Amino acid sequence: MNFAKIQADFTQTFISGNRWLSLLEGLLITLELTFLALILGAILGVLVAVVRSSHDQMKAQHKSNKFLNFANVVCELYVTIIRGTPVMVQLLIMYFVIMASTTNTLLVATLSFGINSGAYVSEIIRGGIMSVDKGQMEAGRSLGLSYVQTMRFIVIPQAIKNILPALGNEFIALLKETSIVNVIGMKDLTKWAINVQGKTYQAFMPFLGIAAVYLVLVIILTKLVKILERRLNKDV
Amino acid sequence: MSDTIIKTEGLKLYYKDGAIKALNGIDSEIHKGEVVAIIGPSGSGKSTYLRSLNLLEYPTEGHVYFNGIDITDKDTDINVHRQKIGMVFQHFNLFPNMSILENMILAPVQLGKKKKEEATEMAMKLLKRVGLEDRADAYPQQLSGGQKQRIAIVRALMMEPEVMLFDEPTSALDPEMVGEVLDVMKELAGSGMTMAVVTHEMGFAREVADRVLFLADGKIVEDGTPAEVFGNPKNERLKDFLAKVL
Repeated sequence: MNFAKIQADFTQTFISGNRWLSLLEGLLITLELTFLALILGAILGVLVAVVRSSHDQMKAQHKSNKFLNFANVVCELYVTIIRGTPVMVQLLIMYFVIMASTTNTLLVATLSFGINSGAYVSEIIRGGIMSVDKGQMEAGRSLGLSYVQTMRFIVIPQAIKNILPALGNEFIALLKETSIVNVIGMKDLTKWAINVQGKTYQAFMPFLGIAAVYLVLVIILTKLVKILERRLNKDV
Repeated sequence: MSDTIIKTEGLKLYYKDGAIKALNGIDSEIHKGEVVAIIGPSGSGKSTYLRSLNLLEYPTEGHVYFNGIDITDKDTDINVHRQKIGMVFQHFNLFPNMSILENMILAPVQLGKKKKEEATEMAMKLLKRVGLEDRADAYPQQLSGGQKQRIAIVRALMMEPEVMLFDEPTSALDPEMVGEVLDVMKELAGSGMTMAVVTHEMGFAREVADRVLFLADGKIVEDGTPAEVFGNPKNERLKDFLAKVL
């Protein structure tokens, strides 16, 4: 493979037919989906984590609340099912079974990845809350602060600091996992490479090209998480 | 010394469905202005007893009354009463995500007891009282153990409690720092604060306490003045205990 050949392949893959433009469109879809799923996942994750931690807390105090018990069972079931099945299968079920009547693939994919991510995020947050010394909760409560106030001002700020690296990893994994959405026909980065290969019979350039794009995105995300970590560690 | 602040009736606390009886029927009273030292061998239930007074441990049976109100009643809002019951822990439990000043003003400000300026002013006065006014903007991990515990005491005082509970306040300290914490506690006792202190510092119990409770196997075995308890112990368990620690 000489230099001229590489140049020709490059031109054919990225330049002719304005393919770089469709590459950007694919990138945009990947980013859009990741961002929406990330938000949904974070909301679900916090909700589930709070339900499960509160339930554990009640249990430790030998109290019980019927609604909370029920919510806790639902949350446990959710986490078990989502973590116990492949995300690709979840995506296919969402598209072909649960939401078979819709053609809005972005909505389907956002729900699938958001719900999937939420299960992992909730376990990370729960772990973070449990990692905070229980004396912190006791000290807050002994001053007369409520459970919610103690969580908000004392426990969660410390938990977030502890879980930021794990949370960053989860979001990076989410970005990479979206590369399977072509199975429901979304034209993301990966689908772009598959299309280009189909048209040009080239595999090297398109696939290494998107690999590079994913890599750059992940490096940027990693840097952002690092900056955030440093910010949070400043006030310690 | 007749006004009862805290009273317990038939306090029982079982773990593991009764396999472990941490408290086995405790009837006790703590009066206004009194300093009560709680001593006993490890596993005797003294910390559990203290922690049940503000319901950090919820009793399996029995009642805790604070100023005549049954706080073990499910309908009582415990948060309101805890504001009046300060607590100091063995491991300080300062909030590492906040400065010393923020540690102190968090509860009074969030609970609407004081405005931020008022609370800050009060905090600075208290810090001065324990000789740490120059550490207001420091973070807990920058302080020594003795300093942390002094901060923990004044943090609890910020809520202007009617009674202070101390759970082995000097047990986690290096020996050379025990004195500075005990001094603050003595000063507090001298100012008329009602205190219940779980301690291994027999010197403190003898010198500062008005009354000493000796616990063994989740029960109060002996209850009397320091002179009675240390000078003329009646119970065999107490004699045995004192022989080991004195």
